[in-house]
Order: sequence, then C-alpha cells, then structure tokens
Amino acid sequence: MFIRSSDELPGVTVLRRFPVPRNFNVSADSRIERGKTWHAPSDATRVKKFEIYRYDPDSGQNPRIETYEVDLDTCGPMVLDALIAIKNDIDPTLTFRRSCREGVCGSCSMNIDGTNWLACTRFISDTAEPATIYPLNHLKVIKDLVPDLTQLFVQYSLIEPWLHTTTPEPEKERLQSPEDRGKVDGFYECILCFCCTSGCPSHWWNGDRFLGPAVLLQSYRWLIDSRDEATGDRLDDLEDPFRLYRCHTILNCTRTCPKQLNPGKAIAAIKKMIVQRRS
Amino acid sequence: MGGQRMRSPLKRARGLGSARGGFEHWWMQRVTAVALIPLSLWLAASLIALTGRDYNTFVAWLKAPSVTVLMVLLLIALCRHMALGLRVVVEDYVHSNWAKIPAVVTIYWACFALAVVGIVATLRIAFDG
Amino acid sequence: MAHDKRPLSPDLQIYRPQLTSVLSISHRVTGIALSVGTLLLVSWLLAAAAGPQAYSTVQGVMHSWLGRVLLFGCTFSFFFHLCNGIRHLVWDAGYGFELRTIYVSGWTVVAASTALTVAAWFSSFVAME
Repeated sequence: MFIRSSDELPGVTVLRRFPVPRNFNVSADSRIERGKTWHAPSDATRVKKFEIYRYDPDSGQNPRIETYEVDLDTCGPMVLDALIAIKNDIDPTLTFRRSCREGVCGSCSMNIDGTNWLACTRFISDTAEPATIYPLNHLKVIKDLVPDLTQLFVQYSLIEPWLHTTTPEPEKERLQSPEDRGKVDGFYECILCFCCTSGCPSHWWNGDRFLGPAVLLQSYRWLIDSRDEATGDRLDDLEDPFRLYRCHTILNCTRTCPKQLNPGKAIAAIKKMIVQRRS
Repeated sequence: MGGQRMRSPLKRARGLGSARGGFEHWWMQRVTAVALIPLSLWLAASLIALTGRDYNTFVAWLKAPSVTVLMVLLLIALCRHMALGLRVVVEDYVHSNWAKIPAVVTIYWACFALAVVGIVATLRIAFDG
Repeated sequence: MAHDKRPLSPDLQIYRPQLTSVLSISHRVTGIALSVGTLLLVSWLLAAAAGPQAYSTVQGVMHSWLGRVLLFGCTFSFFFHLCNGIRHLVWDAGYGFELRTIYVSGWTVVAASTALTVAAWFSSFVAME
C-alpha cells in the first residue's frame, strides 16, 4: 500500500484495468482479437501461462492475444527468459527486442501485467497468473512486442542532448566540482527504455507535442550540468504549453521507472527554473 | 495525409517551434489555488454554519462588509481557477483547432460572465436586500 | 504504405490503475464537478438576490433527496480537490517526489477528504438543531 521503490509490486489489486470498454477509443485496425493457445507438453510439472500480444504485419490481420504455456523448468527466472524459451522451443515467430539481459540497455521494455518494466529484470514469480505481456503503450506496433520508437527518439534529439558551449575548449577538461557533478546523479543514468513516456497518459493524448518524462528528464540533465552554457536557450525551447506544460504531475513515470529514476522530480525542477528566471 | 507522411519525424516533432510561453497560465493556476485555500475553507465553514437558517439570517450575514469582500474575492479567484483548469482539460482531449480554440474562448467568457453575475448578485444582496 | 496500417498498442485499456494515475484523474474529475458546483453557488446567490421566495425554492431543492446527493458529491469533490490540490502545490515547490512520500501523501489525501466530508456533514446536521 505504501510503495517505497518502483521495483515494489503492488500488494493488493483492486482493479486490473480502468473501467473502460476493452476497445475504448481503439481504431478498427488496432482491435485485439483472441488467438490460439499453445499448450505445454503433458509431462511438464511447473507450467505458467503467458498471454502475449501478437501482431503480424504480413498477415493483414488484426493483433491478437496468444496464450503460451511455458514449462518453468526449461527457462530462467526472468520474463525475458520465458520469452526466449517460447521463441526457442514453442513459437519461433515471437518477436521482441532484447540485448544485455541485465537491465542496462533498455531494449526489452514492455508492458507486463499492466505496468511498464524491463522483461529481463522482472521475475516470473512476481507476475500474475496468467502473465499478460503487451508492447509499450500508445505506440505504433511494428511486430508483436516491438513498438516504433522513432517519434520518442526524435523528441530526444529535439532537446539537443550534448554539451552546448561558446567558451572555447580549454587545454584539458572543462572543470566541474564534485558537488556540481553530483547534481547530475539521478538523471544521467537513464537508459532510454521509454517505460515512463509510454506510461504517461498525457503523452498518450498529446504525444505529438508533449515531450514526455524521459526526454524532459534528459533535458534537465543538461540544464543542471554546470559546464553547459546554453541554459537560457534550452529553457526557451522547453517553455511551451505542450512541450513542457502538458505535464500534470500524474507521476506514473516515477512509479514505473525500472532504474528507480524520478522524471516527475526533474520536470518540477524545470518548472521551478522557469519561475526563477521570471522572478 | 500523404504530405504528413513525407515529412521527416524531426519536422513533425519540431512542429511550429516552442511557443516560449505557457508559464503565465501555470503560474496563475497556482496563485489562484493558494488564494482559494483559505477562501474556500471560509466558504465551506460559513455554509455549514448557515445550514437551515432562514433568508434574513443569510442576508444579514452577507451584508457584513468582511463577508461581502471575501465573497467577491472568492468568486474572482474561483472563476479564474475554474477557467484555467477547464482550459487545460479541453487542450488535453480536444485536438482539432476548429473545436479547441472556440471552446477555450467560450470557457474564458463563460467563467468571466459567471464571476460578474455572482459579484453583482452579492453586491445587490449586500446593498439592497 | 505498410506503416499506415500499423496498429496502435493499447494504453488506457490495459494499463494498471495505480495510486498515481487514479488520484490524478480523480483530481480532474472533482475539478469538473466543482465547476458545476460553482454554477450552483452562483445560482444560489442569484436566487438570494431575487428575494425570499426564490431563495426558499432553491433551499427546498437543496434539501430534497437529489439536492442532498448533489451536495454530498460537491462536498466530497471539494475536500478531495482541496487536499490533493495542496499536495500538488507541495510538488510544485519541488518537495515530496520520493515514491514513499507520493504514496503516503496520496493515501493521506484520500483519508483526509473522507474524514473532512463526514465531519462537514455531521457539523451541518448539528448546526441545523
């Protein structure tokens, strides 16, 4: 009930989803249908069901939910291990992004049991029965669990995430005190998995213009970097009713970050900087 | 629709550029909110105390200068806060400019009119009633 | 082009309701309810300005079954929006963003608004004696 950290699972489930129709606001192309069930072999003892979102762009059909029964003795402890076991042993057409398998690359971000997390750091034992796996929310789906992240990355490039300086390069490094370097802690560690942005209702409704928590967190990382000399220009670009001020402090972002970062706090700090420069 | 697809993702993300504004709205929402904390609590307490009282008691209460002033201040802050809040709701959910901009303008005028009506009614009770 | 036919992954239809999102949407819903409440407040002032007959008509409606339900809804909306609004103002000042604080303050808002609503209605019944 009193969550301390984003990796804590909710104790009680009152509602698994908001009380809206299953296909609320969903276009005909995006309607999800029931797919087949892949049963485990009869000698399997520890069987777990996974309901996974599938979409085949070549078939011309709507997306569907397919149920996979996985023998947990044949795969590792993480949800990613189960996905790999499904792909290896059961259905080789299942498609998903993955790389480091240790929670540092951000590739395997997906919606597991209704919240966004990295598949490689979510224990299967911490999932519901059946576990439901969807791609990241409100994004165009390329195939199965692979969403199109182009818009999110292009919004990231919009904030120019590199050091802006006019002062010529010094002989050695640009100096920064340990205290100033400490200010960047909690913001530079973002792995751009976009769990937060795809879980933000404001980004769902205004994702074309609202930058979203991940990008705003990164823009704050550059705003408080003591070596950066374009703070005013960065704030000019951010101060917009949609780019920044669509954030209504919903805080789904902080709740869901797999790296325990705090985009909500960063965005509030940006708003405070804007207050400060007008005072 | 064809033209939209041919635009680069960066072009679409950049849009018409930063408005370099939006702060005033955010700030006024917070300023009116802070003003409304004591004002609305005062109203709630007064309404509770006035439950079941007759017309004359109510008029006598509103005629007191401090009450009249507080009521007028409350109406100003309340209608401003309401207009700003409803504007944000419309901007979030309505995306067509043809619907959004007239809706926002209507909300602003309606809230202003509501404040004027409320203030005029208050002043009439205070000075005539 | 195949890109046009890409389906949109589900969002509100499958995302888990959490304290963060539920309290946020409740803040918005109570805000809209209070906008209706402001209309009622101004009509009540108008009725009072129009004279004792109009005032007692409005009082009668407010004491009816439907009126009491609306009033109870407005009361709870008011206290919830007030308490959660204060929580928002604390966030705007830059404090209270640790997840534990978000959850503790969130549940406090729910408890406080329920308690205040009950207290207000209880006081109202007492005041009527």
